Amino acid sequence: MEAFVTSWLATLPTFATPLLLASVGLIIAERAGVVSLAAEGYMAVGALAAAAVTLTTGQPGWGIALGVLAGAALALLFGIVAVVFRADQILAGLATVAAGLGITGVVGREYVHQTFEGVAPFDPGMLGTIPWIGPLLFGQDPLVYLALAVTVASWWAVFHTRFGLRLRAVGEDPATADVAGVDVQLHQLVAVALCGALCGLGGAYLSVAGSSVWVEGMVAGRGWIALSLVIFARWQPLRAVLGAALFGGVEALLPRLQAVGVDMPVYLGAMLPYALTIAVLIAAGVSRVGATAEPASLGLPYIRQDRR
Amino acid sequence: MLDGLTLQRRQHPSRRLTFGSYAGGLAAGLGLSAVLLLIAGVPPDSMVDDLFTQVFVDPGGLAQTVTLAIPLVLVGLSSAIAMRIRFWNIGMEGQLWLGAIGAAGCAIHDIGAAPLRLPLMLLAAAASGALWIAIPLVLRLRLRVSEMVVSLLLSSIAFLLLQHLLFGGWRDPANSFPVSPPFDPVEQLGLLGFGNVHTGLILAVAAVVFTAILVDRTRLGFQATAIGLNPLAARAAGLPVAATTIAMVLLSGALSGLAGGVIVAGTEHRLTQFIGMNATFSGIVIAFVARFKPAGVLVAAFAVAGIYNAGNTLKVFYALSDGIVVLIQSVVLLSLLVAQFFAAYRIDRVRGVTA
Repeated sequence: MEAFVTSWLATLPTFATPLLLASVGLIIAERAGVVSLAAEGYMAVGALAAAAVTLTTGQPGWGIALGVLAGAALALLFGIVAVVFRADQILAGLATVAAGLGITGVVGREYVHQTFEGVAPFDPGMLGTIPWIGPLLFGQDPLVYLALAVTVASWWAVFHTRFGLRLRAVGEDPATADVAGVDVQLHQLVAVALCGALCGLGGAYLSVAGSSVWVEGMVAGRGWIALSLVIFARWQPLRAVLGAALFGGVEALLPRLQAVGVDMPVYLGAMLPYALTIAVLIAAGVSRVGATAEPASLGLPYIRQDRR
Repeated sequence: MLDGLTLQRRQHPSRRLTFGSYAGGLAAGLGLSAVLLLIAGVPPDSMVDDLFTQVFVDPGGLAQTVTLAIPLVLVGLSSAIAMRIRFWNIGMEGQLWLGAIGAAGCAIHDIGAAPLRLPLMLLAAAASGALWIAIPLVLRLRLRVSEMVVSLLLSSIAFLLLQHLLFGGWRDPANSFPVSPPFDPVEQLGLLGFGNVHTGLILAVAAVVFTAILVDRTRLGFQATAIGLNPLAARAAGLPVAATTIAMVLLSGALSGLAGGVIVAGTEHRLTQFIGMNATFSGIVIAFVARFKPAGVLVAAFAVAGIYNAGNTLKVFYALSDGIVVLIQSVVLLSLLVAQFFAAYRIDRVRGVTA
C-alpha cells in the first residue's frame, strides 16, 4: 500500500502541471473579463513548438521558450479578433481552437512520433526515501517547481499589484476602470497574451517533460478541463493548485492501477477525467459559485460609447 | 489604445453595409486560405483544378461533395437552431457519435422487422442525439451549469464509448480493424444513381424545409427567435422560455444524431471510428456562414463539403494533413467575425481631444 501510494503521488505532478498552468492562465484572462475558450488551441501549438525546437536544437530549454511564445502568439490573434474587433468571444475562441489544432496538424507531420531527450526529473537522492511523500516533493522535474512558482507569482500579481488591481477592475466594471484612466483593451490584450503564454507552457510540458514525443491530439481535452477548473478554483490562482492536484491525481491513478494488474475496461476508465469535470461543474452549479465569484463583465465586449 | 478613434454602435446597419462586410469577410477568408495553401506548397494552377473543378464541376467529384454535404447539412441545421435560442451546443460531434451508435445498435442487434429496420435506425439515431444533448440541457435549466463545456466534454465521452464498443462487443471478428460487422442491405440507405449519393440527401433537404418552416412560419420558431434576441424581455412578455428552449435544443441534438445515423446507414454501412468529420466546428462554421438561416445552411454545407473533398486530394498529392481543412474553416470564420465589426460599428476619428 505504501509503495503504491508513494509511486502514485510521485507521478501526480506530471499530470497536474499542464492543467495548473492552463487554468492559472485562464484565470488571468477571465479576471480581465475575457472568456478565452481557446486554451486547448494554445496548448496544442505550445506542445508542437516545444517538441519541434527540441528535436532540431536538442535544447529542451529553447523548446519550452518557443512553446510559450507560440501560445502567446495564437492568443494575441484571438485577442485582436475578440478584444480589438469586439467579435463574439465564444465564436472567436472556438475558431482559435480550430486554428491551433489545424496548424499543428499541418506543421506537425514532420515531427510526429519522433522521440527526443526532454526534461528529466531531479534525482531526489536520500530525500526520495522519505515514505509516502519523498519522491512527490523532491523527485519532480524543474518545470513542476516552476509551475508552482508561476502560480504564486500570478496570485501575487493579480491580488497585490497595481497591474492586478487594474486587471480585476477591467473584468468587473470596464466602464469605471475606463473613467479612472485604465486602458481597458490594453489590459485585456496583455491578460490574453499571458493566458496564451501559460497555456503554451502547459502544452510544452506535455511534450517536453510529460512524454518526450509529439503526437497529434496529445492535449486531449485538457484545455477544456482547465476551463472548468477555473470555476472550481473560484477564479483564485492558489485554489487552482487544489483542482489540478485532484484531476492530476485521478489521471495518475489509472496507469498505476493498470501497473499493479487491476483489470478494468480501458476506454471506460479514460472517461473518468471528463466525467469528473462534469461532476465538478455540477457541484459548482449547486453551490452557485458562478453567481458570486465570476468577474461581473466576463465575456462582454466593452465599447466606451455604450457606457451608462 | 487607439484613443484617436471612437466607436459608435450602429442602431440599424444598412442592408448594403451588412452584405458588403459579409462579402468582404468571406472574400478575405478565402483569399487568406489560398495564401496558406500556397505557403503549404500547393501550386496556383492546381488550386483552381484540384480545389474547384475537381470538387464542384467534375461529375465524380461533385457526387463525392454532395455525399459529404448530407451529414454537414444536418449538423449545420443543428448548430443554427441551437444558436438561434442562444444555447451553445458545442457537442454536436458527440451527438453525432451517439446517433451513429444508436443506428448501428438497431442494425447489429436486428431490432424490428426488416421493412421497418431503416426507419427505426434513423429514429434511434435522432433519439440518441437528443438524449445526449438532454444532459447539458437539464444541467443548464436546473442548475445553470454552462452547457458549453459539458456538451463538449460529452463528445469526448461519446467517442470513448464508441471505442469501447468497437474494441469490445461490437467488433467484427472477420476484420483486423476495429469496425462493426457490415450492415445488411435492408439496413442501408439506397443510392440515387449519382455516385455514392444516397437517399439521405432527400432527408437532409426535407430537414432544411422543415426547419425553415419551423423557424419562419410557426409560433415555436417566433418564440425561439424572441428568446434568443433577449431572454429577459421574452420572459417578461410571458413567453414559455423553458418549454421553447427544451423543444429547440432537443431538435438540435436530434439533427446531429440523425447526421451520425445517415453516415453509418448511407456511406459507411458499418460503425467505424472515422466518421466524426469535426462535426462541431464545421456545424458552427456552416451555421455562421449561413447567417443561421436554414436555406443558407444548404449552400454553406455544400461549400464546406467541397473543402473536405478537396482536403482528401491535398492529403494524397501534397502530403497535407486533415488539419488544413480545419484551418481553412477557421480562417474563414475569423475573417467573417472581424468583418462584422465594420458593419456593427461606425469608426470616427476624434481630432484634438480624446473622448
